[in-house]
Amino acid sequence: MMDEELKVVGETTQFIVIKLGDEQYGIDIKFIDNIVRMQHITRVPKVDPYLKGVINLRGEVIPVMSIRIKMGLEPDVETKSSRIIILKLEQQGTIGVIVDEVKEVVTLENDQIEKIAYDSMEDKNSFLCGIGKCDGGLISLLDLNAVVMENV
Amino acid sequence: MDVSQYLEIFLDETNEHLQNLNTQILSLEQEPGNMDTINEIFRAAHSLKGMAGTMGYKRMQNLTHDMENVFSEVRNGNITVKANMIDVLFQCLDALEEYTTNIRENADEGTNDNEPLIKQLNDILNGSDSGNAEEQPTPEPTEDSAAAAAPSANEDRKWTDIKLGDSEQTVMKEAVSQGKNVYGLTVKVQESCILKAARAFLVFKAIEETGEIIISSPSAQDIEDEKFDLDFSLIVISDAPLDKVIAAAKSVSEIEDVKGGAIDPNHVASAAENDAGEETAPAEPAKAGESQKSAAPAAPAASAAPARSGKKKADEKKTTPTKPVVNRTVRVDIEKLDTLMNLVSELIIAKNSLVSASAASGTSSTAVNEQIEYLESVTTSLHESVMKVRMVPIESTVSKFPRMVRDLQKTLGKKMELHMSGEETELDRTVVDEIGDPLMHLLRNSADHGLESAEVRKERGKPEVGSIFLDAYQDGNNVVIEVRDDGNGIDTQAVRDKAIEKGIITPEQAENMSEKDSIDLLFHAGFSTAKVVSDVSGRGVGLDVVKSKIEALSGEVEVKSKLGEGSSWIIRLPLTLAIIQALMVDIGNEKYAISLGSIQTIEDISPDDVKLVQAKEVIQLRDIVIPLIRLNEILDVESKKDPKENLVVVVVKKGDKQAGLVVDELIGQQEIVIKSLGKYISKCKIISGATVLGDGEVALILDANTLI
Repeated sequence: MMDEELKVVGETTQFIVIKLGDEQYGIDIKFIDNIVRMQHITRVPKVDPYLKGVINLRGEVIPVMSIRIKMGLEPDVETKSSRIIILKLEQQGTIGVIVDEVKEVVTLENDQIEKIAYDSMEDKNSFLCGIGKCDGGLISLLDLNAVVMENV
Repeated sequence: MDVSQYLEIFLDETNEHLQNLNTQILSLEQEPGNMDTINEIFRAAHSLKGMAGTMGYKRMQNLTHDMENVFSEVRNGNITVKANMIDVLFQCLDALEEYTTNIRENADEGTNDNEPLIKQLNDILNGSDSGNAEEQPTPEPTEDSAAAAAPSANEDRKWTDIKLGDSEQTVMKEAVSQGKNVYGLTVKVQESCILKAARAFLVFKAIEETGEIIISSPSAQDIEDEKFDLDFSLIVISDAPLDKVIAAAKSVSEIEDVKGGAIDPNHVASAAENDAGEETAPAEPAKAGESQKSAAPAAPAASAAPARSGKKKADEKKTTPTKPVVNRTVRVDIEKLDTLMNLVSELIIAKNSLVSASAASGTSSTAVNEQIEYLESVTTSLHESVMKVRMVPIESTVSKFPRMVRDLQKTLGKKMELHMSGEETELDRTVVDEIGDPLMHLLRNSADHGLESAEVRKERGKPEVGSIFLDAYQDGNNVVIEVRDDGNGIDTQAVRDKAIEKGIITPEQAENMSEKDSIDLLFHAGFSTAKVVSDVSGRGVGLDVVKSKIEALSGEVEVKSKLGEGSSWIIRLPLTLAIIQALMVDIGNEKYAISLGSIQTIEDISPDDVKLVQAKEVIQLRDIVIPLIRLNEILDVESKKDPKENLVVVVVKKGDKQAGLVVDELIGQQEIVIKSLGKYISKCKIISGATVLGDGEVALILDANTLI
C-alpha cells in the first residue's frame, strides 16, 4: 500500500502546455520561474539569430531566445497570446523563451510518457525528451537543455 | 579567556604591524641612524608582542620579545645596525608571518619555536656591549624621544610637569595648612603589561586608601582609556608618609617603578604659572593636562597618548614625526557594502523611472521638478559616498613590494631599486585585493626578464643598479597602474621564435606579425621565454593568468617596449564597477549608452570633411587624424539619418588612441546602473553590459575600448 502510494507520487510530472504553430509542447514546470506577456525586446547585435535580445524583468536583464528559430521553424509572429516563459536553469541561469500561446498545466503519470529513442536521426527530435499522451492528444516534451544549448 | 571573537581583529592588526615593520626595517637599512624609524619599529614590535601575549600565542610573543630587545639596544645606541642584522630581522618577520598564517588557518600558531632565530637575535644582543642588555632595564620609547627632543633632568620626576589650576592649588595649600603632606608620584608600568588601564586603576585605588588624588597626568579619563604609554603622574594629598604611599602603589603587580617626592604647593603654583604663560586658569584636570602638553612639547606623555587635540597633534609631529595619526574606524563586512550598493542601484533605477514618468505625464509642475532634481542630487551623492566607502588606497597591496624586490635582488644576484608613486590612489576594495598577484607577477617579470645583470648594464652604459617603477594614477574613470623597468625590453624576434618553437604560431604567421601582435604572444597560455626556469618566474604560468585576472576585473593590460631601453606594462582598471555616468545615444531605433569616462569630445562634422585613408574613413580634428567608426554598420542597424546631414561624432579615447563614433542623435547624459548580460550572451564583445532605463526598457552599453 505504502509502496504504491509513493510510486504514484514519485512518478507524476507537471508540464505547462504551450503551442508553437499547430503543435503542442510541454515544459517541465520545475524549470519555470515566471510567465510574462510579450514586451519590447532589446536587440543585441552580433549574436546568434535565435537570441532575440534582452528584456527587463523586475530590474534584472534577462536574455530571450526564440524556440522557433532554434528549432528551424518559421520566425515568431507576435500576437495577443504570445508569451515569454522565464526558465531558471542550473547551467545557463535565467533565460526567457518566446512561445505562441500558453494553454494549460497537465499532470502526466510516468506511463503516459513515452521516451524517445536517442538514435533518432531527425534533427527536430533532438530537442525533445519524450512524448506525453493526454486526453487523446499528444504533447511533445521539450528537452530544455538541448533547446537552450548554445550552437557551436 | 575566550579570545576567539578578537581573532579577526588580531589577524588584521598583526598584518598591519608586520607590514609596517617590513617597511620600516627597509628604510632602516637605507639610513641606519634614523631615530624615528627605530622608534617606530620598536613601537610596532612592542604592540605585536602585547597582542600576541593577550591572545595566548606564546611562541609569537617570545620571538617578538627578543626582536624588541634588539631594537631597544639599537635605540640606546648599544648596537649599530648591520646588514646581517637586517637579514635576521627579515627572517624573524617571515617567521611571524608564518605564525599568523597558521593562526589564520588553524587558529593555532603551530609548533615552530624558531629557536635558531631567537639564538641569532640573542647573539646580536650579546655581541653588543658585554651583557649590558641584561643589567639595564629597558627604557621606554617615550623617555627616549623626550630625551632626544629636550634633554630633561626630571625624567623620573614627571609629576613636576603637571600643570595646576587654581582649584588644585587652593586644595593643596589648604591641605598643607591642615598639616597634611602633598606628594608627587610618577608610576611606571612594566613594558610587558597588557591591561595598563586596569593596572593604573588598581594603583589609583591603592593610593586612594592612603590619601586623596587631586590630579593626574594624563587625565583620569585618558588613563582609563589607556591613552598613556608606560607611565603616569599623580599628585596626592595624604596623612601618611611618602614611603607608605609609594609602597601602596608598588603593591600592584606589573608596576615597574614608582618615584615620588614631596611638593611645596606655593612653589609649584608659581612655577606652573610661569610655565603655562597664557594659560592663566585652566580649571579642570583634563584641560590642565592638555595645556601642560602644549606648553611643554617635550613632555614625555605627549608622544604616548593618541591624538586628542589639534594642538597636541602638532606637538606630536614635532617630537615623533613618524607617529601615524590614529583614525576612528569601523570594520565592515564587504558583503554588507555590496548589499548597500545594490540598494543604491535600485534607488537610482527608481529615480530614473520617476523622472521619465513625470515627463510622460506632461503635468509636471515646478514643485515636482524641483523635488526630482533634489532627489537626483541626493541619489548621486549617496552613490558617491557608498563608492567611497568601498574605496581603499592601493597602498595596502603595494607596500609589500619593496621587501619583495629586496629579496629578489638577493636571489637573482642583480642590483635593482623599486620606485613607487601614487600609493594613495584609491580603488574598489575587491579590485585592490585582487590586483596584488598580477602586480607581483609583473614586478618579478621585470626583475627577472627585464633587467640585465650589472655587467651587461655597465657595458650598455646604463647605471649598474636597475630601476623598476610602479606608478599608479587616476585617468578619468580609470585607474592606471604602470610597471616599468629600464632593462632590456622585449625582444620580439625571440618571442616569435619561441612561439614557433612552441607551435603557437606558424613561421608564415610570424613573418607578417606586427610588433604589437608579437608582444601579445607573451600573454598566450603556456608561453615562457626564459631559457632557464628560475623560481622567480619563467614557469610558463603567469602572463596569461595576469591578463585573465585583470580582464576579470574589467580592466586591460597594454605593453610598450623598446628593445634595449626597457618595457612598461600598463594596467587600466575601471574606478567603479556598478554605476557610471554615460552618454545616451540613438542609433537607428535603438538606444545605446557610452561611458562618459571614455568620451573626449562630441563633434558636428560635415560629410564633406570625411576623408578616405587606406579605404577607411577618417576625419581631421585639430591636426589629428581620427578614424571614423560608423556604429550603425557595426551594430547592423539602419541609420535614420539622411547621409547629406552633418554627422554627430562622439570622439572616444583609449590610452593615446582615439576614434570617432558616428551616431544618429544624442539623447543626453544619464547615470546608469551596469547590469551584466549574463554568460548566455557573452559572444558580443562590443557590448559591455546593459542597463535598465527609466521607462523600463533595456539599453546596451557600448564598450568603446573594444571598438578602437
